[in-house]
Amino acid sequence: MHVMGIIFANDATMGDLTGKRTMASLPFGGRYRQIDFHLSNMACAGIRNIGIISRHNYQSLMNHVGDAEEWGLELGEGGLEFLTPYAMSTSDRYRGKLENLFNAMDFLEYGVDDEDDYVVMADSAILSNMDMNKVIEAHIASGKDITVVTKAGIANGEKQLDLALKLDAKGEIVDVAVDYVAPADYLASMDTFVLSKKYLKHQIKELVARNKYHMDRDLVMGLYQKGFATINVYQFEGVALFNESIEEYFRNSLRLLDKDVRHDLFGGNHPVFTKVRDRVPSYYGDSCEIENCLVADGCFLEGEAEDSILFRQVTICEGAEVENCVIMNDAVIGEGAELEYVILDKNVTVRPGARLIGTEKNPIIIKRGETV
Amino acid sequence: MYFQKKRCIAMLLAGGQGSRLKVLTEKTAKPAVPFGGKYRIIDFPLSNCVNSGIDTVGILTQYQPLELNEYIGNGQPWGLNKTHSRAQVLPPYERYDKKSGWYKGTANAIYQNIDFIDRYSPEYVVILSGDHIYKMDYAAMVAYHEKNEASCTIAVRNVPLSEASRFGILNTNPDGSIYEFEEKPKQPKSTNASMGIYVFNWKVLREALIADEEDETSSNDFGKNIIPKLLNAGHKMMAYTFDGYWKDVGTIDSLWEANMELLGKEPEFNIRGDERTRIYARNSALPSSFIDEDAKIYNSFVAEGSEVYGTVRHSVISVGCTIGEGALIEDSVVMPGVVIESGAIVRHAILGENSKVCRNAVVGGAYGPKDKKKISVTSKGAVVEENTVLAPGDMI
Repeated sequence: MHVMGIIFANDATMGDLTGKRTMASLPFGGRYRQIDFHLSNMACAGIRNIGIISRHNYQSLMNHVGDAEEWGLELGEGGLEFLTPYAMSTSDRYRGKLENLFNAMDFLEYGVDDEDDYVVMADSAILSNMDMNKVIEAHIASGKDITVVTKAGIANGEKQLDLALKLDAKGEIVDVAVDYVAPADYLASMDTFVLSKKYLKHQIKELVARNKYHMDRDLVMGLYQKGFATINVYQFEGVALFNESIEEYFRNSLRLLDKDVRHDLFGGNHPVFTKVRDRVPSYYGDSCEIENCLVADGCFLEGEAEDSILFRQVTICEGAEVENCVIMNDAVIGEGAELEYVILDKNVTVRPGARLIGTEKNPIIIKRGETV
Repeated sequence: MYFQKKRCIAMLLAGGQGSRLKVLTEKTAKPAVPFGGKYRIIDFPLSNCVNSGIDTVGILTQYQPLELNEYIGNGQPWGLNKTHSRAQVLPPYERYDKKSGWYKGTANAIYQNIDFIDRYSPEYVVILSGDHIYKMDYAAMVAYHEKNEASCTIAVRNVPLSEASRFGILNTNPDGSIYEFEEKPKQPKSTNASMGIYVFNWKVLREALIADEEDETSSNDFGKNIIPKLLNAGHKMMAYTFDGYWKDVGTIDSLWEANMELLGKEPEFNIRGDERTRIYARNSALPSSFIDEDAKIYNSFVAEGSEVYGTVRHSVISVGCTIGEGALIEDSVVMPGVVIESGAIVRHAILGENSKVCRNAVVGGAYGPKDKKKISVTSKGAVVEENTVLAPGDMI
C-alpha cells in the first residue's frame, strides 16, 4: 500500500493577510503556518510522498517549507513536491481544484499503480490534529469510493459551507449540498478526502474532459447524485478550526487560549512540527503583566498583554497595553501604545503612544512591515 | 566515500563525567545537561563552530552517551548533516593492536581518532571541551594562530590573581608567545588562565600524540602532557586572549549562576546577541507557552511549550514545564519537562529534567543577595512528594 498526500495551498480569503502569501503560509498559533498542521498530520501518519498545489504567491510558502527536514520529509520525486504553475501547465483562468489535479497528473502517476494505492487530500484553511491512518483505515473498511472527513457543530445556519452532508439516524446520507448555508444538523466537510489513486485519476480525466473542474460540486456531489460514487462519511471528533474568513481566523486564534482546544490541536495525536527559528526563550521583564496569553519564543516583554497571541520575537515596551490581539513575528510595540482587537502582520512597528482599537467582528489589520 | 580536504576541523571532548554536577550527571554526560531554557551545554561549542565556519566536528563521547548521542543525532540542528559538513560521534572502540579501549585521557581520545582527522587532511585542528558556556569566533583564533606561524595556540582569559592557582596558567612574553605553562601554580606569575581551547597544526599534534602514546608514564592529557612537551621541544606556542563571557559550568553553583546571568534587561551573558552568533539547539516541537490570567512572571526566561499558572521570579523555565496555580518559583533553574504542582514553593534550586514537585512541597530557601547560597537539586525524574520539604543544599 502506498499513500500520497495532496495539500491545496491557495484559495485565499483573508484580504490583506493573504495579499502576499498563500492560505498555507498564513501564520497561526504563535509559531506555525497553517500548512504545518497538514504536513504534520500526513508526515506523522507515515505519508512521505506529498504534493503541495500552489498557484501563486508561493514564495513565502517555499521559504517556510525549505528542505522539509523539520517534518521528516525530503524534497524531490517520491518525497515532497511543489506543484506550482511552472510545473503544471498554466491556464489563464482558474476553474477549480480538479484542474490543478489534472495538471498535476505527473505527480499522481508516481510509482506503480496498485489497487491499494490511496490519495489523501487536504485544504490549508482547515486546521486539526488528525490521525490520518485512522481515516485511511476507515476508508478501506468502508469499501466506498470517496471518504469525506466531516465535523459536526460547524454548520449553524449562518456560515456557508463548501460541502455539507446530512445523515439520517442510521448514518445513511440523505443530502449532499455545495456552497450551502446549512442548518445545524448538517456535517461540514473539512475539505479532507481519501480516495483510491486509480479511482481519483480516472474520475479527474473523465470530469475534466467534460469541462467539470469543481472538486466538491463535480467530483463529490455530482458523482454521488448520479450514482457513480459511493461516499463514506468520517466524523472527526477532535478540534477542527475553519479559518475561512478574517473573523474566523481571529476568533480561532483566540480560541487557543482555551486549554482543551490548545491541547487537542497541539498534542491531540502527535506533535505539530514547524520551521525551527532558533530564537532564545522569551524574556519577561520586571514590569510586565502577561495574562491569558499564548507566547512564542524570542519575545521581550516589559508591558502588558491580555487575552492575546504573541508570535516569535515580539517586543512589548513598558507601558504598552495589548488586549485581544494577534501579534505576528518581530512586532515592536512602543511605550504606552494601546492595542485592542488588532491583528499585526509580521514585522510591524507601533509607535510609542499609538492607539489602535478594533472590534471582535472587525479587527484592525496592519499590513506586514508597516509602521503605525 | 568522498572526504573534502578541510583547512580546519574541530574535535570536541564530550566524554567527561562531570562528577561535580552530582545528581544532574548521574544518567547524563555533562555536555548534554540542559542550560538556559532550551539549550544543552554542547550547543555552545557546536554553534560556535558553525558560526566560525567550521563544518566538520568530531565529538568524543564516553560517559553515559545515550542521551548525548540522541541529541547530536545526525547534526541537523546545527546544519552539520550536509554532503560536506559533519557532526561525527566518536565513541571509544576496540582496535586491532589493542592500543585502545576506554579513552585514557583527553590526548588519548584524540590519538584514538587520528584516522578520522586524517580523512580531512586539515592544516589545523581546534580542540574544544563540552563544559563551557560562551560565544567565541574560533575563526579569529585560527587566523591569529596562522598569522603568528605557531604550532599551537591556547585561548586564555584573565582571571583574578586570587583565583589563578585554580587554573592552568600560561606565562607569556610581550609578543604573546608562551614560555612557561604551570598547572594550578601555588604562586602564579600571571593571570592568563587556559580555557582548554587549543588550535594545533595537525602535523605537529599528530606526531606529539603518537610520541605521547609511546610514553608509558604519561597520563595522555593535553594540559599535563602534550602542552608541556611541545613547549619543551621548542615549538612556538601563542596565547590568544579572549575577553568575552565565559563560564565553566562544572559545578552546581556555577551552573546555577550561569543560568542567572542570562537574566536582566542587560544580562551579563546576552544570549539574544546578534544573528551571526546564534546558538542552535535540537528543537522540541512544542507549541508556544501559555501564560494564565493569574500567572505572574518577572525577570525570567520562559521557553516553549510551558504552561504557567503560578508566580515566577528571577528564574529560567525550560521547555515543556508546568507551573501550577499558586506555586512560587524564585531564583531557580527549572529544566525541561518539570511539573510543579499548585501551592509548591521552589527557591534557589535546580530542578532536573522531568522531575516533579508535588502540591504544597517546599524546595530550597531564601537568601539575601550577598549570602552564600545553598542550591537544592532534584535529579532527572525525581519526585518531591506532597507537603514535604527538600532543604536548602539538599539533593534527591
